[in-house]
Amino acid sequence: MTTTQRQVSTKTAPLGSAPAGSRSPAPRAGGRPKLSEKKRDGIAGYLFLTPWLIGFFVLTLGPMLISLYLAFTKYNLFTDPEWIGLDNFTRMFNDPQFQQSVQITLTYVLVGTPIKLAAALGVAMLLNYRSKGSGFFRSAFYAPSLIGASVSVAIVWRAMFNNDGPVDTGLSFVGIDVGGWVGNPALVMPMMILLAVWQFGAPMVIFLAGLKQIPGELYEAADVDGAGPWRKFRSVTLPMLSPVIFFNLLLEMIGAFQIFASAFIISSGTGGPAGSTNFYTVYLYQRAFGDLQMGYASAMAWLLLVVVGIAAFVLFRTSKFWVHYGGDLK
Amino acid sequence: MTTLDTELAPVLPVGQKQRVPKWKKRSTWVTVVWAIALTAIVVVVLYPLLWMVLASFKPSSDINGNVSLLPENPTIQNYVKVLQGIGGIPVYTFFINSLVLAVGSVIGVVISSSMAAYAFARVRFAGSKIFFGLMIATLLLPFHVLIIPQYIIFQRLGLIDTFIPLLVVKFLATEAFFVFLMVQFIRNLPMELDEAARIDGAGHPRVFFSITLPLIKPALVTSSIFAFIWSWNDFLGPLLYLNSTDKYTLPLALRLYNDQSSVSDYGATIAISVLALIPIALFFFIFQRFLVEGVATQGLKG
Amino acid sequence: MFYKHSRRTATAFAATAAAVLALTGCAGSGPAASEGGSSFDPDTDVTVNFTWWGNDDRASKYTEAIALFEKEYPNVTVNGTFTDYPSYWEKRTTEAAGGGLPDVMQFDYSQMDSFGSRGLLYNLTPEYGENIDVDAIPESALGVGDIDGKSYGLISSTNAWSMFQDKTLIASIGAEPYEGGTSWDDYYDWIADVTAKGNGVYGGADPTQRIQNFELSLRQDGGNLYTDDGELGFDEKDLTAFWESAADIREGDIVPQQRLEELNPVSGFGANIAASELTWDNFGAGYLADSGKSVDDLILTTPPTSDADAKDLYLKPSMLLAMSSKTKVGAAGAKLIDFLTNSPEVGKIFGASRGIPASETQRDGAELSGQDANVLAYEESITDRLGDAPPLPPEGAASIEQKFWDLGKSIDLGAISIDDAVKQFFDEAEITLNN
Repeated sequence: MTTTQRQVSTKTAPLGSAPAGSRSPAPRAGGRPKLSEKKRDGIAGYLFLTPWLIGFFVLTLGPMLISLYLAFTKYNLFTDPEWIGLDNFTRMFNDPQFQQSVQITLTYVLVGTPIKLAAALGVAMLLNYRSKGSGFFRSAFYAPSLIGASVSVAIVWRAMFNNDGPVDTGLSFVGIDVGGWVGNPALVMPMMILLAVWQFGAPMVIFLAGLKQIPGELYEAADVDGAGPWRKFRSVTLPMLSPVIFFNLLLEMIGAFQIFASAFIISSGTGGPAGSTNFYTVYLYQRAFGDLQMGYASAMAWLLLVVVGIAAFVLFRTSKFWVHYGGDLK
Repeated sequence: MTTLDTELAPVLPVGQKQRVPKWKKRSTWVTVVWAIALTAIVVVVLYPLLWMVLASFKPSSDINGNVSLLPENPTIQNYVKVLQGIGGIPVYTFFINSLVLAVGSVIGVVISSSMAAYAFARVRFAGSKIFFGLMIATLLLPFHVLIIPQYIIFQRLGLIDTFIPLLVVKFLATEAFFVFLMVQFIRNLPMELDEAARIDGAGHPRVFFSITLPLIKPALVTSSIFAFIWSWNDFLGPLLYLNSTDKYTLPLALRLYNDQSSVSDYGATIAISVLALIPIALFFFIFQRFLVEGVATQGLKG
Repeated sequence: MFYKHSRRTATAFAATAAAVLALTGCAGSGPAASEGGSSFDPDTDVTVNFTWWGNDDRASKYTEAIALFEKEYPNVTVNGTFTDYPSYWEKRTTEAAGGGLPDVMQFDYSQMDSFGSRGLLYNLTPEYGENIDVDAIPESALGVGDIDGKSYGLISSTNAWSMFQDKTLIASIGAEPYEGGTSWDDYYDWIADVTAKGNGVYGGADPTQRIQNFELSLRQDGGNLYTDDGELGFDEKDLTAFWESAADIREGDIVPQQRLEELNPVSGFGANIAASELTWDNFGAGYLADSGKSVDDLILTTPPTSDADAKDLYLKPSMLLAMSSKTKVGAAGAKLIDFLTNSPEVGKIFGASRGIPASETQRDGAELSGQDANVLAYEESITDRLGDAPPLPPEGAASIEQKFWDLGKSIDLGAISIDDAVKQFFDEAEITLNN
């Protein structure tokens, strides 16, 4: 019925005079509305997608390919890139600063992320115990996540962990006198990890939502079986939360690799005392924009991409063994 | 919005009333412990923020050396010094620069992400699945492989030391987080509304503007807030692209203050750090619902 | 994943990569040749972009100086910007690569080669005697910014390496100031002595962290940091010996590096925990601001030397002024340079905070008093020890200096052995000098 109406209306309208505001091409008058709708959809789809497409090809994919090319060159912005094959990569493996940056970043990611997630889960479970008033706590815990990566917080964190700052003074009350953490190469990493853990609010909120979705019957059933709290945690909570844990783990890990502002500010831009804040991103920035060794920095960037890609791949593959999707598989 | 706040009602078979009193008796004791633990954690978590705000009212010499939160000699000297600006540039210049970028980001993100989301969620076109997959993949992409070439591109175009590189990125939907958020929202909208409009002869643009956009307002609001906050806090972008001091955003200005002040002069640096966080704090207090729930839904429907 | 649309997506990729690479390929054209002695038209309004490095204090001084300049040349508007020193050269190099250097820039001696030999700087020679008056500047100083006979930077001021001491602090702990000019071992003994008496105050920081001290010791033996063709003028043995020479005082006599890390950007001397410090002689203003010391507390002494007759010190251009070769306001920029270098009022504003003004007219107008007069007096006192300036530092010298310093700090933190540090230094230097 619709098609005949269409045919009638457009047949009586003079050809070429499209109604004001109409954006579809003329062929609506034809006898094959399905095809034209598909075409229309095709055009509309790409039209709507245009900004994203431009962004993707020009600002994401294009740059990725360029930096892949640059990774095999020597390039200082002034003269043209000079192909040097694998030299950047061999240099990396002999570069003590590179090795240090890898070690520092891996420590931060592999130690900091689990601690942060454990804190997030722990507090989420605490909050889940009673929902009354949890709204305030939830927001309070979330606040640091919003500002944790900001320069303001980096400055304040540095001030707090300084010699005679509140942390140092507080610790000395309990008899621990370590002096400032900021100038001490050994304590800078714990300080950075604490900063990361402090921002547990975001994953916590996700965990909390996940916890609320666990049906109560499961816990009741476990109770009936005589399971204690630890058993319930292992057999009900963890498996039911596993998709959320997976999601958080993936995102937090990616985020941890990309730490920049806090590390840069706390290190005063030079990688901190004896290079102890020489995170991968900071070192890459130094090489690229400080020393104008852009080929080398691009090589570092791609190496990171490959490593992150492998880690994500492994995570996805092994997720089969520990992530239980309940009902809906989206 | 209220689902997250409802009590998790225990599901009991009918008739088993005896359980309730036992549970209740244990619960008051446990509840007290729980409340104490939770409060302790909140105190620890909020301490740095509290310290920061209160320290900004302490004279520089008092900031180190004591744990006491409250300033013994409260002063607004730090703020006065901050307001004098740095090198002849008043502080409000940095605020305005940050504001311009943040508002621009919000506009760019909302427009481009909603368009892309609509295309992915509502329009059937060749390649949509692949592009969607690629978009999701960019969530996992470390930015390191992008910054150098992006810099080179903008530099060849002569756009260094302008706001353009920082804004263009937002107008081209390069942040998958927002697109993803909106796609989820749109997918949840009933198709009937769209179909009804289509029958009435509306094309995709009309459907998008008159039906979809109004219905995904919560997603738009959440995206706007996050876009604002992320732009406000952005450090690497301005660091790379802004050279002139009078174009600096707040994070860069903070760094300028920080690099020039000694430990004994921290007062002004902390004061401006506090000032820089105020807009975010405002957004947070007003819109925390949107933020927290926006984050929560991400994890579940993913 | 791409099987279905492989051809389409493949072409899309190829097109993207090609397009983007083409974009990057359309490079900014090479530097424009600069004509000399441009004519200045007082009736056309022009804007000059001017940038410098420095802290707040210097920024307000430049703002004052610019206001004076604009009064004298009402048709010129100067757009002044600044950053701190570490980011200054990052900005300049990336600006240069994009063809967008500011019209006038405060410049450093160690960067002249990088920029000048690439044609990024305006040839100032034709302006001398025209828009820029150079009569008040000594011949030898005029030539410091020369490359291949053309001048790419005009010297603003000079400084020299020196030792600052806080005589009040030293007296308060019952010691005598270091007399200056004696052997390094003497200085180290003095440091140990002060630290022992000090009660929390140390004799000084580790001098082997600074490449300038290394340069002095090389010059004391007749060598130099860099050779004429831009290579390192020393080898691993020299560096190892130098770093090892301070081994004794590292054991507790010098300010603990950890403390210095925390105090950064203020130095040990500026924080009043070190009684002496080797640095450029124009750093007094900074110390006074940081430390709360008064002018009478400071004294300038000559650095240690291993050879009493050595001519190891030299007057270094503390800063120069240069212009971008692509500037469109050459004449106005030259006038600005002339004003900032020669004007006596500007001298009064800055005193010796940029260094001792190279131009006599500015020096006279500076009415150097207080700390500035002390600096002038110091430079006059070392004339016997002044030798020829070393060759222009090669490109990358600045980052080599920073690397040297970072390694020195790591040594003092105990984070790296001297041998490893030496190896790292030479590896880095090799890459930097060949970049």
